Amino acid sequence: MQPHIKRAFTLLAIAIIVFIVIRSLVVPDSFGQYGWYRGDSVVDNRNFPVEYAGSASCGEENCHKTLYSIWEDSRHKTVNCETCHGPSEKHVSNVRIMPQPANESRDFCGLCHFRQTARPEDFSQIDPETHGQNLRCAYCHNPHKPWFV
Amino acid sequence: MTEGLIWGYVYPNEAEVQWSILIVLYPYITGLVAGAFIASSLYHVFGKKEIKPVARFALLTALAFLLVATMPLVAHLGHPERGVQIMFTPHLTSAMSGFGYIYSFYLIVVVLEIWLSFREDIVKKALSSRGLKELLYSGLALFSYDISERALHEDEKLARRLAIIGIPSAAFLHGYVGFIFGGIKANPWWSTPLMPIIFLMSAIVSGIALLILLYIVAMKIRRHAIDHSCLYSLAQYLWVFLIFDVVLELLEVVSMKYESLEEIEIINILLSEKIATTFYGVQLTLGIFVPFVLLLLVGIMKNHDTLKTIMIAVSSTLVVIGVFAMRWNVVIGGQEISKSLSGTLTYVPVFFGMEGVLPAVVIFTIPFIILLVLTYILPPWKDMEEATE
Amino acid sequence: MNGDLTMSISRREFTRIGCRVIIGAAAGTAIIESIVKNSLASEDKKGEYDWNEHYWGFVVDTTKCIGCGRCANACKLENHVPFDEHLYRTWVERYRVLKKEEVKIDSPNGGIDGFTNDIPKEDIKKAFYVPKLCNHCDHPPCVQVCPVGATYLTEDGVVLIDYDYCIGCRYCIQGCPYGARYFLAEETPHHKPHSVLGGGVADKCTWCYHRITKGLLPACVQACPAGARIFGDLKDPDSAVNKILDKERINVLKPDLGTRPKAYYIGLDREVR
Repeated sequence: MQPHIKRAFTLLAIAIIVFIVIRSLVVPDSFGQYGWYRGDSVVDNRNFPVEYAGSASCGEENCHKTLYSIWEDSRHKTVNCETCHGPSEKHVSNVRIMPQPANESRDFCGLCHFRQTARPEDFSQIDPETHGQNLRCAYCHNPHKPWFV
Repeated sequence: MTEGLIWGYVYPNEAEVQWSILIVLYPYITGLVAGAFIASSLYHVFGKKEIKPVARFALLTALAFLLVATMPLVAHLGHPERGVQIMFTPHLTSAMSGFGYIYSFYLIVVVLEIWLSFREDIVKKALSSRGLKELLYSGLALFSYDISERALHEDEKLARRLAIIGIPSAAFLHGYVGFIFGGIKANPWWSTPLMPIIFLMSAIVSGIALLILLYIVAMKIRRHAIDHSCLYSLAQYLWVFLIFDVVLELLEVVSMKYESLEEIEIINILLSEKIATTFYGVQLTLGIFVPFVLLLLVGIMKNHDTLKTIMIAVSSTLVVIGVFAMRWNVVIGGQEISKSLSGTLTYVPVFFGMEGVLPAVVIFTIPFIILLVLTYILPPWKDMEEATE
Repeated sequence: MNGDLTMSISRREFTRIGCRVIIGAAAGTAIIESIVKNSLASEDKKGEYDWNEHYWGFVVDTTKCIGCGRCANACKLENHVPFDEHLYRTWVERYRVLKKEEVKIDSPNGGIDGFTNDIPKEDIKKAFYVPKLCNHCDHPPCVQVCPVGATYLTEDGVVLIDYDYCIGCRYCIQGCPYGARYFLAEETPHHKPHSVLGGGVADKCTWCYHRITKGLLPACVQACPAGARIFGDLKDPDSAVNKILDKERINVLKPDLGTRPKAYYIGLDREVR
């Protein structure tokens, strides 16, 4: 082989070796641990903060026990506390941090209960134009234990 | 903000077009690279003597564009600094993961090919110049100055072998770009096995057209006569590849319309409303049919060299524009239909900003500057001009 | 690249890196690296959650959905998805088949603000809601197309994203047939502790992986007042999900694409894609 060609290929070989060295330094240790990805990323994904504590934690430790037992037997028992009161994990771990106050507007209740063609017919729905004279829903209905007027 | 641009129903997350004009530019530039390289191979591998004047110039053109091919991609990334991971941990099931390695391999082939074909000139310059210039050329010669007949013969043999490797890798480099789109089953406008070969054909077409234009411009600047046999030969190849190109592009649309699968309604809307002008008008009519007829006339006509040169120049310009429209229609068109198959959205290019028209224009001017510098360091004029002297 | 380099390197680590460089340079083979990596893996801290014991699945009962959008709302709050941008890990679609054989589909703000009655009831033949979310496919096209291995299918059947490794090429967004993925341009507090520069990455529903691995339900499932979303373990024969799968006739979205989704739908209409 001609010397100049030898030199060219030596340069190429050096470049490839440098690449391999850099690669072995830069690729994270946990890459390939479980598959073609960074194994530590699974831990990262598991460690994201929880915001919704769940209704059970509201009834615990005599905090909101009375309200909880009322809600538990009501027709609204499928509606979890935080669906109206907002995410409360921070409040559960520190009572001084208050969650957002519940939205009491007609429109908020209407998200579920205003009549919609696409809504299953057997679901409780009202016509906002004719029902309740524009009063707040909670004026007649207890959101924690709804009943019919 | 985007409400007025949406028709029908698009998935809420689709409100924004993800791959912008930069991603249109990327397959366009790699296409020019592949085309220019294949044009030079016509001489280096297939021994087409009439191409010789532009063979080395074509290699420099390929390199100039190859060097910027990564720019639009990297500029478009959400994390450009992590881009190199594509080479460190390439996920091989992804069509995109091959990019780093295919690109690097091809870059090595092109650089070696250029080095071998210019080595005689480099060594001569190194021996005849002084100072910094001497250092530059000696460095380029790798401080080895053997230009004996035997050495040059060996160089030529190796260059030929490299060119033989280069053709499939050029085809692969661009075919794979087509597969990036063709392999996406989620998108009915992209998902077709024809995509890689359509991309390849349009790449060759655009590369040859660009080479013709650059050759004519270079000769005009240098006030030198154009080698007409070379020009006509290039024009002839352009014409032949145009036929392959149009057949494949029409086959894709015709088979989509004929099979009329679930997605045909949205494809029809795309073709008749969203990209009608750029598809039927620019890509097919201006980009293929007009140059096709003009080049046919060039083939038939006798004498009238000036008129024929103008016709070839016009055809090449139209082809280069038409292929850009083709890339646009694929990349942007595919994103203007919703994967819900029941709505469309409109891409409005911004001018400034990371993904705007301005950076695209800037990126597209860089290869021409690189080419200017390359032709200054490694002048390819000798063989471009000697034929007519 | 990854912050690792800027960290102060202890002597032991330095020797280890040095050894790996030499081995890597000399052989450059993946085999040797995998040996090194496996020895590191044994040091890994394993929590109480064992992902080999679970395989998660999701059922959407479209016949029960009332279109209140509380799921999409809770999702954004739980996962800190910006409210002022058109980005949704889950959303609710409304389908209205009109009497003149036309289908109107909409999902204003993902359903978070509810829906308006803009078509008179008399013109509508039938109407229903369809909640959508990431299907966590068994053959995920998004994972297939990721060029760097920044998104993956876990052993417990969830498709996750490595926000510290994603290069932001958005190929996965193109590859997802369901529009479940979006590009997170800005940094959010959620990702902050894990991201070097923040933002510039793909994002999508994780079935609240940080919740389900702690024994909690995904936020959307917990928020749904109508029981339209059911989540559970496919490996547990008594799970809520398996009870439905054993009994009901179910379908998945775009089954012809061969993605094998694990979000199963009850009451899918032919218009739903």
